[in-house]
Amino acid sequence: MQVKWRHSLKSGWRYIALAPILLLDGCAGNPYWIFNPKGLMADSDLFYLMVDVAVMGVIVGLTALLVVWFMWRYQKGKNRGAYDPSWSHSNAIEVVVWGIPIIAVGVLSWFAVKGTFEINPYNPTVITKHMKPDDDPVEVDVIATDWQWLFVYPQYHMAVANELVLPARTPVFFRLTSTAVTTTFFIPQLVGMIDVMPGMRTKNALESSHMGSYQGIASDYAGAGTSWMTFKTNILSATDYSQWVRKVQRSPVSMSYAGFNRYADPYINVHHKVVYFSSVQDGLFDHVIDEVMNGKTWPIPPMMTENMVGYLQQQDAEHRD
Amino acid sequence: MLVDLAGGWNPLVGRLAWSQIPYDNPILAPLFVAVVLGALMLLGLITYYGKWTYLWREWLTTVDHKKLGIMYIIIGLVMLFRGFIDGLMIRTQQAWAVGSQSSGVFGALHGYLTPFHFGQIYSAHGLIMILLAATPLLVGFMNIIVPIQIGARDMAYPYLNALGLWLTAAAGALIMISLFIGDFAHNGWFGYAPIFELQYSPGVGVDYWMWTLQLVALGTTLGGINILSTIIKMRAPGMTWGRLPIFVWASLSANVIALTSFPALQVALALVAADRYLGAHFFTAGLGGNLMLYTNLFWIWGHPEVYFVILPAFGMMSEIFPTFSEKPLFGYVTMVLASIAIAGVSWLVWLHHFFTMGAGPYVNSAFSVATMLVGIPTGVKVFNWAFTMYRGRLTFNAAMLWAIGALFLLLIGGLTGMMLAIPAINYMVHNSVFVVAHFHSMLMVIVYAIFASVIYWFPKVFGFKLDEFWAKTMFWLFSAGTALVFVPMYMLGFMGMTRRLDYVFNTAWQPYLLVMELGIVVYMFSVFAFFALLYVSIRDHAKNRVGADAWGTSRSLEWITHSPVPFYNFAVVPQINARDEAAWRRENGLEHIQPDHYDDIHMPNNTGVAIILGGLSFTLGFALTWRIWWLCLLSLIAIIALVIYRSFKGDPGYILTAAELEKMEQEAIRRASRIDGGHHLRPVRGDGWAQERADLPAAGTLYGLSSPMDHHK
Ligand SMILES: [Cu+2]
Repeated sequence: MQVKWRHSLKSGWRYIALAPILLLDGCAGNPYWIFNPKGLMADSDLFYLMVDVAVMGVIVGLTALLVVWFMWRYQKGKNRGAYDPSWSHSNAIEVVVWGIPIIAVGVLSWFAVKGTFEINPYNPTVITKHMKPDDDPVEVDVIATDWQWLFVYPQYHMAVANELVLPARTPVFFRLTSTAVTTTFFIPQLVGMIDVMPGMRTKNALESSHMGSYQGIASDYAGAGTSWMTFKTNILSATDYSQWVRKVQRSPVSMSYAGFNRYADPYINVHHKVVYFSSVQDGLFDHVIDEVMNGKTWPIPPMMTENMVGYLQQQDAEHRD
Repeated sequence: MLVDLAGGWNPLVGRLAWSQIPYDNPILAPLFVAVVLGALMLLGLITYYGKWTYLWREWLTTVDHKKLGIMYIIIGLVMLFRGFIDGLMIRTQQAWAVGSQSSGVFGALHGYLTPFHFGQIYSAHGLIMILLAATPLLVGFMNIIVPIQIGARDMAYPYLNALGLWLTAAAGALIMISLFIGDFAHNGWFGYAPIFELQYSPGVGVDYWMWTLQLVALGTTLGGINILSTIIKMRAPGMTWGRLPIFVWASLSANVIALTSFPALQVALALVAADRYLGAHFFTAGLGGNLMLYTNLFWIWGHPEVYFVILPAFGMMSEIFPTFSEKPLFGYVTMVLASIAIAGVSWLVWLHHFFTMGAGPYVNSAFSVATMLVGIPTGVKVFNWAFTMYRGRLTFNAAMLWAIGALFLLLIGGLTGMMLAIPAINYMVHNSVFVVAHFHSMLMVIVYAIFASVIYWFPKVFGFKLDEFWAKTMFWLFSAGTALVFVPMYMLGFMGMTRRLDYVFNTAWQPYLLVMELGIVVYMFSVFAFFALLYVSIRDHAKNRVGADAWGTSRSLEWITHSPVPFYNFAVVPQINARDEAAWRRENGLEHIQPDHYDDIHMPNNTGVAIILGGLSFTLGFALTWRIWWLCLLSLIAIIALVIYRSFKGDPGYILTAAELEKMEQEAIRRASRIDGGHHLRPVRGDGWAQERADLPAAGTLYGLSSPMDHHK
């Protein structure tokens, strides 16, 4: 019952949200990623967005109309409404003006708390409550460097740089950290933002049943290469996914702890380079956190992008491309 | 050296070197030449007209709260313009650098700004707009208006007031000089740990950022102490708490926030300095540092700061709506309670700036609910303004238009703020341009309130009104710019566009970015309209002179003294009889009453100490930034010595005799009666200025005025 209500609320809102977009660019896909979620987490986020906009939209909309009406009615010289130069208090109105915000905030607080638990990145009940005991979730360790993403698949002992590939209809649990500075992991159509911080571990999760390719973004400023620190997230069917895993495992490249140290040097990924690592030294994720906590840094040269074109030529010359 | 520095250092000039001057930068080099030429021309003109003595005596050494306020506002407007140019550059880069096929010039791969420069520009934009535009503008208005509204002759501490101004000016100078010597921080206006650590920001940019913030924080804290003391101790007889004008209440609650929160910022920044100068590890990722500690400390100040700037804006709106609705403010008591409630809750919500940190659901829920609580008093304020208009007689002049614009922006900002307060929604739009659009909606409430106040209080300070036509033209251009920039920005937020991108990877976003570019051009025209407004108003000032009550429907105390306000504010301290004293006097036929006799008054002397301390603080900030240790030591010793010297010397003040005062008053009254054609202001000497009038209707019951007489009958 509740699911159905949610569903109709969602599709109704989507229809309204889509109207201006359809006018703008016909049927060429929906550019509003937030209104077009493709995973359980993003779906849930949108539901709370709609509840909030519905409640607040009514209040704000009516208030705006009230103000416009007063402006029209009480304009000087038009004699539309009676002037009362001393009227400045009414107990009834005071009750209403305090009552409406209190009730609205009360209702929204209930939804806010509910939603916070539902999509708690560390234990999202929206995913875990549907999980069956025999479900085999995928684990991905995310390591952000300056300025690339490394996705380690500990279950397969392999890793992929700057591309995330996941099976559909399977819960995915992320552990995330960073080498140098802080940024934020964000796939607008699949899962909301979570900070990735050096020397710390955060978590997130997603589940999607929509095959397709979705944009991933480093959504917090992390220095010169942030704008190019993007990655595609491909959701594949079970068979396509196992084929893809085999493809990665055939890659000639592998990654050791020492290799990671070189990989994590500042690198602006302007060509959106994707690298497959068929094997990864075990425990890389925890190793990186330990190293950073013990004071390891990956410093940035002064003025490194004072001349960006020149820096990129230098980066290419160092054969890191 | 306690830390390893990239690049050279020598004992004489620290990290300074010729290579730090960006003479090869195609944007900065011509700008530098223009600034130098402009400065030389200005100095030449002052010398030519022999105005140096005037400038020094009347402005640079003044302790008059109105002149200090005017200088605060000038600094604010200059920095607002600088921040606007930064905004123009940000918008242009984002409209240009879209997609991998977009061209690039000046060493940038796409667009015309390299990531390093782009980072500096948005960081400077944010810091300038919040701390060197909005804050000085509001502090300036509080400085000018609060003492007059409570019937005081000056601030409680006039010298401290001047010191606050010159520290703010020093901060402004420090951030401006970073344009031409060295570079500025690229880590955003609030800074991130550990990107501002030496390993990830090896230049001097972060140091400029840090010392600029320190100076402005110190200046604002001192200002806060002063305004609080003034409100508590300097009220005229009869100015009870229940009669305090609402702008004073707003200033009071705002400065309670300033006094309690700015020190947190200063401590946080001192710890950053320890990291960068002494090699400490407060906010590093490793070796025991905790980078989220910085984020917590910063926002423990940063969120209250938001209310420090919004509360005075609310206060301004609460003064303007009643005047042009010709009615008392609806629900005075609830308005006061709402201000105090907002100030109180403002300390309890800082974590909503980083819900995505990964705190547990209990923590996030608590801060989410606390954040939404702010919506209650804010909602009450909006309703109270609406009901102030209800049964009123509304005049839509320029000041009222700006105030109404602020109200509608607050509705939009409130709607989107309630979205951001819910973690489930926040996860989707935090760090997106949706957030940028939200807080710009809120800051625009402040900008709109400020322009409303410029128009509203200008005649009180300068004695003539601003030109209505250009003020309205500017309003409509500015509002068109606001719509064109921020509506597409909200839409882009729902499209998933994140903030601070110097290269935009998604070409589907370009049409919206181009509309925003058009919007910023429209903003540019509103800036031209503002210049036209000033030019036309000053040219026609003789035609637009006003008497004490510039609008004819004014309500609070500042409108019973002359326009322009004399340096002593009130020749005789008035007796306050009602909440809306000016309206009460008008309704009881007392608006012509002048004091029946004058007494000697005691006034503070001017002092050059404040501006010298400001200059020394600037030198200290510059020397710290460049690590010129001998200059740090020298300026620090000079500061301490001067402070000690001034403390022992004190200021005995001087006496303005009753005779001199009477002469000046007669002159002011004569001038006023000429303007009004002898009709509006017939000065009558007698009871009623400084004496209680028990024979007249009582002074305000709990709610509003008790005299319902309609003097327009
Ligand atoms: Cu906040």
